[in-house]
Amino acid sequence: MQQQEIENVYTVEDSQISEDGQRTDTMTINMGPQHPSTHGVLRLILTIEGETVIKCVPDIGFLHTGIEKTAEAKTYHQALVLTDRMDYLAPLCNNLGYSLAVEKLLGIENEISDKIKYVRVLLAELQRIASHLVWLGTHAIDLGAMSVFLYCFREREMILDVFEYVSGVRMMTSYICPGGLQAEVPAGFDDIVRKFTSIFSDRLREYHDLLTNNQLWLERTKGVGHLSAEDALAYGASGPVLRGSGVVWDIRKAFPYSGYEKFDFDIPVGSNGDVYDRYLVRMLEMDQSLKIVNQALEGMPTGPYRVQNPKVAPPPKWQITGSMEALIHHFKLFTEGYRPPVGEVYVRTESPKGELGFYIVSDGSAKPYRMHVRAPSFANLEVLPLMIDGCLLADVVAAIGSIDIVLGEVDR
Amino acid sequence: MKYDLATLLSQLPRGQQGRKADFLKCDLATLLSQLPRGQQGRKAVFMAITAASTVEKVREKFPQAIVETVEFRGEQTIVLQPEHLVAVCAHLQKNLQYTFLSSITAVHWPERLPRFDVVYHLLSIPNRSELRLKLRVGEKREEHPSVPTVVSVWPGANWYEREVYDLFGITFAGHPDLRRILMPMDWTTHPLRKDYPLSGFDLPEPHWGGQVPYDTDPGVGSQTLRTPNGRELNENRTRFTQNQEPGTEKR
Repeated sequence: MQQQEIENVYTVEDSQISEDGQRTDTMTINMGPQHPSTHGVLRLILTIEGETVIKCVPDIGFLHTGIEKTAEAKTYHQALVLTDRMDYLAPLCNNLGYSLAVEKLLGIENEISDKIKYVRVLLAELQRIASHLVWLGTHAIDLGAMSVFLYCFREREMILDVFEYVSGVRMMTSYICPGGLQAEVPAGFDDIVRKFTSIFSDRLREYHDLLTNNQLWLERTKGVGHLSAEDALAYGASGPVLRGSGVVWDIRKAFPYSGYEKFDFDIPVGSNGDVYDRYLVRMLEMDQSLKIVNQALEGMPTGPYRVQNPKVAPPPKWQITGSMEALIHHFKLFTEGYRPPVGEVYVRTESPKGELGFYIVSDGSAKPYRMHVRAPSFANLEVLPLMIDGCLLADVVAAIGSIDIVLGEVDR
Repeated sequence: MKYDLATLLSQLPRGQQGRKADFLKCDLATLLSQLPRGQQGRKAVFMAITAASTVEKVREKFPQAIVETVEFRGEQTIVLQPEHLVAVCAHLQKNLQYTFLSSITAVHWPERLPRFDVVYHLLSIPNRSELRLKLRVGEKREEHPSVPTVVSVWPGANWYEREVYDLFGITFAGHPDLRRILMPMDWTTHPLRKDYPLSGFDLPEPHWGGQVPYDTDPGVGSQTLRTPNGRELNENRTRFTQNQEPGTEKR
């Protein structure tokens, strides 16, 4: 940011006299970082003419926590908990991406059992629904629909209860870890998930009743924040933002990971690239996620919850008192960690926000030499100035909501 | 009333009815039918492009640009000479359908010469193939190595290059707007370099931020920031104007 540009906020710039003798003033105002509709600490420096936005400069970095730097000082297993804190609305999806990357680096993908894959997919899809529910609630409240927010959080609570039941933690679970899962899936897991899936389809119908054909909602979202497919691709937008613009692309279909090829689901795609299309894509995605959750529940295989490889996953506790070898493995794993071979991998997964990529470089030690995260919100936010170019000031809020950014992930 | 996909779509306002066809399964046929019209006849060519065949094609077309190619865990990497980067990228984007730039990042190898890897992850959506490009830059005593920008090929590279500049101090020649993106504007160092300490600086006396090297603060600007092994970290800000970041070209 040029120094001058920063200092010019809240100022009326030099007025110019147009041909018909009108004074045309532009004003530079600051939106955020502490604005409730910027979904975190995002600052936009908006140049407006009347109520029309003519320039938008996003300013990010307020939530920069140096996760990539910190990960270099942690072992592979310890760095897992940092991934929860990036996209804090979808921690399990982050865990999944990181675990897949480390497993690929270790070369143990083939040892992952079907049960681990099914539980991972089930939890990741529940997490997708939870993330979309927060998006729907906050997006609706930004545009003035208060009650949707309350309903969405009611259903999200049920999903968080599932996570609490399975891992003991509601949000930062770190439940999916390199080598499998942190703990055995508790008995009664099926019932608590079914309790949610049995009602959610009806609840989704209620949200559609509230918004999808609501005239007020249509007026606020249709034709607003247009993004063409070419721009979305050129700027690296992914996830519902890309699909809302009409590009048929989903990593779960294109590069199936964690057994997604076994599930039957569709990819909703919009065509206009406006806020309403992105809204519809996410609403229909929740339907598809529910379908995947149901399939995973039906076909849940039995098996171990982590790989039977003592170099990666600790042996069962009961073996430690009886087996010297198990004791050594246990001690080595928890004092030193495992050492992947020298190399680098990039693994992309479809998180609720878009393409989440983990680039991990190993130098043969027990700590990642470099961990880079390709955060979907970072790229999706980059297209915001294109979306709101020429929009009204009030529509900026609609456009930000439709991108579904999480600043913890943008700034890392 | 049921709200499955079909009924939902039939309830859309009238102008939207034509969109039914867009809600389709994501299969290869759909992907191919989405290609621009002039490209439809070339389906057979696109089907054949994989990461490995891309490496061969680049090797044929730009034999002088390639330093080496690496395959690890099924991922293809091409190490390029920095001066050929833009030509290779433009070729990949235009002729081989690598239209999607996933990310740009860097890795610091302080013991090695050249000291930095700049890494590009590309994705071809029509061909479902992924590719990694890599440059090795940073000779001895070159504090801010320079790499040509690829903003002209993928506009989305803008923010990634700013991030790499911010965190590694690698500059991108020709970048339209090279300034810090995550760190504060008046930060003077590049935190993801390996010689940057993890737990902050050891300032001689207690200071309000503990580790904020603002040169606007008279108490700190005159102090020298050092890494634990004694290397001097802060750059001499007096050489730069207020608007110019260290390492960037003068505006």
